[in-house]
Amino acid sequence: MKIAVCIKRVPVMEVKFVIAADGTRVEESGLKYDVNDFDLWAIEAGLQLREKNGNTGEVVVISLGPDTAQEQIRKALAMGADRGVLLKTDAMPTDGFAVAQALAAELRDGGYDVVLFGRIAIDSMNQMTGPMVAELLDLPCVTNVCKLEVANGAGRAERQLEGANEVVEFPLPALLTIDDGLNKERLPSLKGIMAAKKKPLDVKPAQLGAAHVTVRKMELPPERAAGRILGDSAAAVPELVRLLQTEAKVL
Amino acid sequence: MANVLVFAEVRGGELRKVAFEAVTAARSLAELSGGGQVHAVLAGGAGIGGKAELLARYGADSVLVLEHDGFAQYNPEALAATLVQHLQGATYAYALFSATAQGRDLSPRVAAKMGVGLAADLTGLAVDGNAVVGQHFTMNGKVIATLAITGAPAIVSVRPAAFQPAENARPLAAAAITSVVDPLASRVKVVALKQGGGDKIDLNDAPVIIAGGRGLKSPANFQLCEDLADAFGNAAVGATRAVTDEGWRPHSDQIGQTGRNVSPTLYVAVGISGAIQHLAGMRTSKTIVAINKDKDAPIFKIADYGIVGDVMEVMPAFTAAVKQARSQG
Amino acid sequence: MSLSNIVFAVVLVGALAFFVRSARRLTKWLHIGRAEVRTDHAGERTRNLLLIGIAQTKILRDPIGGMMHALVFWGFMVLGLGTVEIMIQGLATGFTWDVILPRFLYLPYVVSQELFAVFVLIPVGYLLYRRLVIKPKRFHDDAVSGADAVFILSMIAILMVTLLLIFVMELTQPGASSDGRVISGLLVPLVGGLSAETAHTIGRVAWWMHALLILYFLNHLPFSKHLHVLTSLINVWFSNTSGPGRIGAMRPMDLEAEDAEQFGASDVQHLSWKNLLDGYSCTECGRCTAACPANLTGKMLSPRMIVVKTRARLTEKAQMLDAIGEGGTATVEQQAVLDKTLLDNWITEEELWACTSCRACVQECPVSIDQLDIINELRRDLVLMESRFPEELAPALTSLERNGSPWAFSAADREKWAEGMHIPTMAEMVAAGEKPDILFWVGCMGSFDDRSKKITVAFARILQAATVKFAILGQEETCHGDPARRMGNEYLYQMLAKGVIETLDGYQIKTIVTFCPHCFHQMGSEFPDLGGRYEVIHHTEYIERLLDAGRVPLDTEHGQRLKVAYHDSCYLGRYNEIYEEPRRALKKALPIIELVEPARTKSRGLCCGAGGGRMWMEETVGKRVNVERSEELLATGADQIAVACPFCMTMITDGVTGAGSTVPVLDISEVIAARLTAVPAPLP
Repeated sequence: MKIAVCIKRVPVMEVKFVIAADGTRVEESGLKYDVNDFDLWAIEAGLQLREKNGNTGEVVVISLGPDTAQEQIRKALAMGADRGVLLKTDAMPTDGFAVAQALAAELRDGGYDVVLFGRIAIDSMNQMTGPMVAELLDLPCVTNVCKLEVANGAGRAERQLEGANEVVEFPLPALLTIDDGLNKERLPSLKGIMAAKKKPLDVKPAQLGAAHVTVRKMELPPERAAGRILGDSAAAVPELVRLLQTEAKVL
Repeated sequence: MANVLVFAEVRGGELRKVAFEAVTAARSLAELSGGGQVHAVLAGGAGIGGKAELLARYGADSVLVLEHDGFAQYNPEALAATLVQHLQGATYAYALFSATAQGRDLSPRVAAKMGVGLAADLTGLAVDGNAVVGQHFTMNGKVIATLAITGAPAIVSVRPAAFQPAENARPLAAAAITSVVDPLASRVKVVALKQGGGDKIDLNDAPVIIAGGRGLKSPANFQLCEDLADAFGNAAVGATRAVTDEGWRPHSDQIGQTGRNVSPTLYVAVGISGAIQHLAGMRTSKTIVAINKDKDAPIFKIADYGIVGDVMEVMPAFTAAVKQARSQG
Repeated sequence: MSLSNIVFAVVLVGALAFFVRSARRLTKWLHIGRAEVRTDHAGERTRNLLLIGIAQTKILRDPIGGMMHALVFWGFMVLGLGTVEIMIQGLATGFTWDVILPRFLYLPYVVSQELFAVFVLIPVGYLLYRRLVIKPKRFHDDAVSGADAVFILSMIAILMVTLLLIFVMELTQPGASSDGRVISGLLVPLVGGLSAETAHTIGRVAWWMHALLILYFLNHLPFSKHLHVLTSLINVWFSNTSGPGRIGAMRPMDLEAEDAEQFGASDVQHLSWKNLLDGYSCTECGRCTAACPANLTGKMLSPRMIVVKTRARLTEKAQMLDAIGEGGTATVEQQAVLDKTLLDNWITEEELWACTSCRACVQECPVSIDQLDIINELRRDLVLMESRFPEELAPALTSLERNGSPWAFSAADREKWAEGMHIPTMAEMVAAGEKPDILFWVGCMGSFDDRSKKITVAFARILQAATVKFAILGQEETCHGDPARRMGNEYLYQMLAKGVIETLDGYQIKTIVTFCPHCFHQMGSEFPDLGGRYEVIHHTEYIERLLDAGRVPLDTEHGQRLKVAYHDSCYLGRYNEIYEEPRRALKKALPIIELVEPARTKSRGLCCGAGGGRMWMEETVGKRVNVERSEELLATGADQIAVACPFCMTMITDGVTGAGSTVPVLDISEVIAARLTAVPAPLP
């Protein structure tokens, strides 16, 4: 089975972001990067598919990003993927469709049985690249996969909706986007990290599409207001409920 | 002046609340562009046409009804193809979807088929010349980007609950449409819908979490949390490690570093002191309420609202008040 | 030369040859393990040999059993001289040391032989009684067999009885000198009725029994757990992995070695020869297991079994290799035995992850076996080779990698506790052209855990009150990776530790003070292996220094007389031998308090349960360690419990609350900060 996993290099989110001087992007200095969480689960799904199919075929990891994204591809290789491809671009487009076109160009003649994406990239939060690529390649597509079985050239999956699941059947080849709950990713072993250094990683320029979406402004949400002690007994409950309704708007 | 095509989400034969939000948002987009028409697409199995009136009530000038057994369940391939046909054939400047699991599956397919972009999960909408401008959370919700999208049409999806449904009744004008492809021939088939419904909501799905700590004193007192969860209706009950270690609750209920990581809209911490192990699993919750006897408990440092008091006294009052508030709402 | 001399010579040569063969085989087996230099620090090693080996300081930690064993041990050393005499007698009848030794030396020798025969016999009697009648828990736990012990003890008893018989019968012979015969002199009247001839015959029989038994004993040892009689002194000399002053530092690991294919150990060949020698030296006394917090709260781990299983696997594998022979081809069955591994086939994951790395086992072992070293090496294999670990550890490891802290908090929040306290960061100090006297290393708990932040603030206030010129790293501080190292992830550890060393060296930092014993140990004792050399001081010690210098303005007189129980942190105590400083700091700051000690204290102190990465793991089997320890602390009747570690703080607070007690748990700095008289003025 030939499997492609598309992954994204995203900043580690436990930081205080700073908006750059031009006001349309976040300051990148001081940020650390890792593989997008959902993509880690996609890699894990790919590795498990390969393992369940007698460890035949290959898992190819494809990423679009700057040169430094090789580091994230190496992590996927350390987890057990076979080879990597970096579609190099120095500026990440805001437009998911522009990215989808570049990925589709790389995937088109790859002969993949399964193409995997994470459901969403936690930096852009676009959640669109997977299904767009599926359309460009005319592949059956199932998004938000939280359960998955693949056998005999077809698959059955559950899609995670708000408060419900859909059971979906599809033929291969197909494109799936992986949600949380499907698996927990393995951490690369040192042995895997050493082996990854020797695995092939191609770097080629990304063939991005034209952009229809641009960023006009970036800003930080208002600071969380300091907490308030409303009282020391049940007498404070009415005030609490009022605030939950009017201020927090959660009731 | 521009027309908007809006997709109204249906699940299990019923329109979802997000459909009315989407129509409301579409209505406002039409007004912003100088007063265009809003056409809503309503797809479903037999009898779905009967729901068209609801969409007119929220401001749909016309409801395009796609009624076929093949749409009894979500049918992304046939829907995308049919929507594209309408978008290409008519003069729609905008297409609008809900940024739900369904809308975020469908809208990118439509955009890609049309060869245009998509601005997803917007929390605000404005029109600036030929661009739609809207706010979109990035960086895991820590940064807000203002996006501008151009294209014919400009396709957007709007975040659930960002637009409150507002009635703006139009005379019902429903028109039956047909699928451009055989809806029964789709490669991707939804064969069943498993509703959450009666079963307990999973901690990771629940918009409200009531979590209990050792301050509850005994496993039996977790009933106070269960009662409050029932009062909210959409809540799940969680616990701290101390509690699951004591065996008061199953380990699968544990929230924290070694348990589940949750991020609900509302987190109610009951008798929880707020050790680092616990905070690591819930501090990204949107609103945090803490009820604890100890005023120095670290949980009050991150809580938005706190009551320093006896959980045995506060909880029943809280439950009653929530019940009342919900029955009035 | 008589016939009996010839017979004895043949027996002696045969016995020695057989022993040499056994010994060579055991030595050869040690070479299955990895090479490791253990001849450095010869002075320290010799000191260990004299104190732990000869003076039996560790075995004497058990006052009764220890003394009994020590008497047997010293008896063996003294009686060894007599054994040589007897062996020579076998070859040359009538030989005594009298022939060689001057009178003033010979007489004490005779007295020593007489006395020690009894000094050995009495404890052997007691030890047999303990084995057969008292049966302490540690002797029958882990299903270890006591049969060998009973056999050996009986053999020693027979040796002593025959020795005394030889002495007594000699004394009945005409012309025998009674000089120095302090014991046999007393016993002679009991055999007064025997003729000289009969007595001589009995004496000869006893002599032969004694001599043959000694030779048998020598050859029994290599096949018995009592091999420790021969290896323990050697083991003690080679012990102490990390050299003086660096107790408990984990074995350095070269991750850059290009040809490295194995990290950590999954089988005996990956362990060092010293780990295998530990196996030879274990007599299964169970002192380690009896002190193990995991074992005594019902977990599967038994440090004794770690060593016993290592020895068993070595024997299994080595015998198989011997059977196949060099260049031989293994049968399928033989290969199956070779393919087994110490990890999984003998020692399970569950045992390994139960360890809190508290070092109580290592501390207790009378022959300086390092059980923890084996556990650590096996954990390294699990994580580095196979990525196998409890799933609860994944978030901690991921967060260490992403955020430089085992908890997913933002570095931007690291200095939140210092808001409004006017505490400069290193960057600010350097920008102002100044240098601090000390760097206050806050640590991840001190930065992010709300309870620990109170300790951070308390200590900072003490420093300010004492007008110490100090700085913090603020957002530049990151975890040094110690939790990852203890979990077996040496790769992540080295990445983080090297980053920290780079930051510290960038500021040319010399002196670091911290209140986290894990930070203290890691930076003080383990950083040197990575080239980071700093003076690292634990805050209890630093506070004591400030108190001595009279720099802390304190109200020492007033208030309620409180009973305070101090809980020893493992990484402060057993890892760094800091037991008295925290107690002295408490006493000096507050003469009005009364310190009480829990049942297990100081070097015997019970772990809080958080070490060895356990802080980030579930504890589902048996009683919780923190509950056990908290109950013990509460049993002292203390009004307050003092700790000196943020991890202990979490665990003990949890345990005390769980026990329904309201006894406050405080860090030493909090106890003292509450007594500051001067409101600390911020540094200019």
